[in-house]
Amino acid sequence: MTGSSVARIAHDLSTAALDWLHANRERGAFPADTGADLGDPDSAYKPLGETALAASLVLREGAAGSAQLRTARELVDFTWQQMREGALLYERQLRYPLLTDPLETYAHFARSGHRHDELEELLTHCAAVGSMVEVVPNRRLAVANAHRTVGVGADDWPSLTRATWLGQTPPPWAIDWMTGYSVTHTVFHLTDWGARPDGLPADMTAYVTDWLPVWIDIWSEVGQWDLVGELLIVGVCLPRPRLDAAEWARLAALQHADGMVPRDGEPVTGSPDQRFLNHQHTTVVATVAGTLALSRLLNGAA
Amino acid sequence: MNPAEVRVRLADAATALAGRVLDALRGAGAVGLVDYMDACPDEATALGAVRLLGADLFAPQLVADRLLDAREAAVVAESFGTYPPVIGASSEEQRVAAWRDWAAVRLLALFYGPEPDAAGVAPPDNAAAVLGRVEQWPLWSAAVARLSPLALPEVGGPVVAAVVAEPLALTRGASRAVLRRDYPTAARLARWTALLAHLGVELPLDPAPLVEHVRLRVGAEPRLLLDLAVARLLLGSEAV
Repeated sequence: MTGSSVARIAHDLSTAALDWLHANRERGAFPADTGADLGDPDSAYKPLGETALAASLVLREGAAGSAQLRTARELVDFTWQQMREGALLYERQLRYPLLTDPLETYAHFARSGHRHDELEELLTHCAAVGSMVEVVPNRRLAVANAHRTVGVGADDWPSLTRATWLGQTPPPWAIDWMTGYSVTHTVFHLTDWGARPDGLPADMTAYVTDWLPVWIDIWSEVGQWDLVGELLIVGVCLPRPRLDAAEWARLAALQHADGMVPRDGEPVTGSPDQRFLNHQHTTVVATVAGTLALSRLLNGAA
Repeated sequence: MNPAEVRVRLADAATALAGRVLDALRGAGAVGLVDYMDACPDEATALGAVRLLGADLFAPQLVADRLLDAREAAVVAESFGTYPPVIGASSEEQRVAAWRDWAAVRLLALFYGPEPDAAGVAPPDNAAAVLGRVEQWPLWSAAVARLSPLALPEVGGPVVAAVVAEPLALTRGASRAVLRRDYPTAARLARWTALLAHLGVELPLDPAPLVEHVRLRVGAEPRLLLDLAVARLLLGSEAV
């Protein structure tokens, strides 16, 4: 298969995935009485941020058709409304100054043109204080990338990079499933989701180029499609993108007719709400993967 | 005996012989091939085991300076007289066997033959026929693993040259095997990575921790421990 066939696969994958996120967006809405405390941040807050991320990247890349750009804009606007146009993030950051999730979530909206002046003033202050909850090194890179996107603070990228698992380039066989996600997120943040491929240091680029096929192979074999999707994004973010048609076709073949992409090899069951809960993340991953792949192909990087 | 019983006996005999080779690699003296033959009640089975071990019988000589003597070499030659090398392989299994036979016969001719028999040591085929396309590195490396007895100094030839030329595909295969917890394949590929390091080939990973990682998990099967002992000696480890 050729680059054009990957482009077609990537386009169809991300278009259908984005449409599914849009069609099911109300299933991910906050309960009516949600305040800045959130109770369980992973139940609605985190998925809303992930949807906003995917839509923001569709808009940033501009590689989709006009209908998809409109859908992405509606999704960004929907999630922004859910965040009460930034007020929820502002109140949460005000109440919990050491938390990093308001900043990380806000970055997706700032990327899409939604700004909140009071929140940015607060984020600038938080960055200057330099006191945040302890987070694992790849998550610390997420904070640095959010700072960069929003335009606040200044981070020591080299030392943050080398603190990650990937920054140490350990033996490629000494990795596990969770560390696979650490690798993907390290690449996402260093390259700002493929916008800065050269943000990945040369030795790490060589390392990822060498071993990505192994990791895609072994996690495909056991049907860990969510991680495989993230690894495909990693391939797209490299200075010389890895766009293997067979790997893309394998992920695309899993997509359901309504656009949902299953997280793993287990049967997809349950109510529509349960399906959204279980597979929203992987469908976000598919949207991002297809969007970035198509963009890099159209820009002649691959 | 029915064919199944023959296979079991042969496998048991080969395992016992592999244990002797392993002991020799660990410094317990010579392989003692003549003693092994004398102690085995069934000469045909014993010769079959010698034939199965093939090139690995030369491992103590090639990586631990423990020479086979002329009488032991004669036993190896006799095994190939009784069970001639595979020629004209038509299946994947036969192609692998043909290359393993070739390595043994080549080493025998190299060290003990009055004159190397040109016909006997000619490579059975080109390397691609047995290894497949390197672009398909999971399959390619699985074929390389089945040919681990060729991962010895002095064997050389087209298969070794093909593996030497593809350190990335080899180490991808080794990493894949470890991650799939396929430790038999990992042990065989670890031996190949050690050979490449021994030959001065630059590898994209350090073979020493790979060999040790597999050794700690591979169990007690002598033929796999033999692969790893060869690997450790090739890497210069003192204790194997």
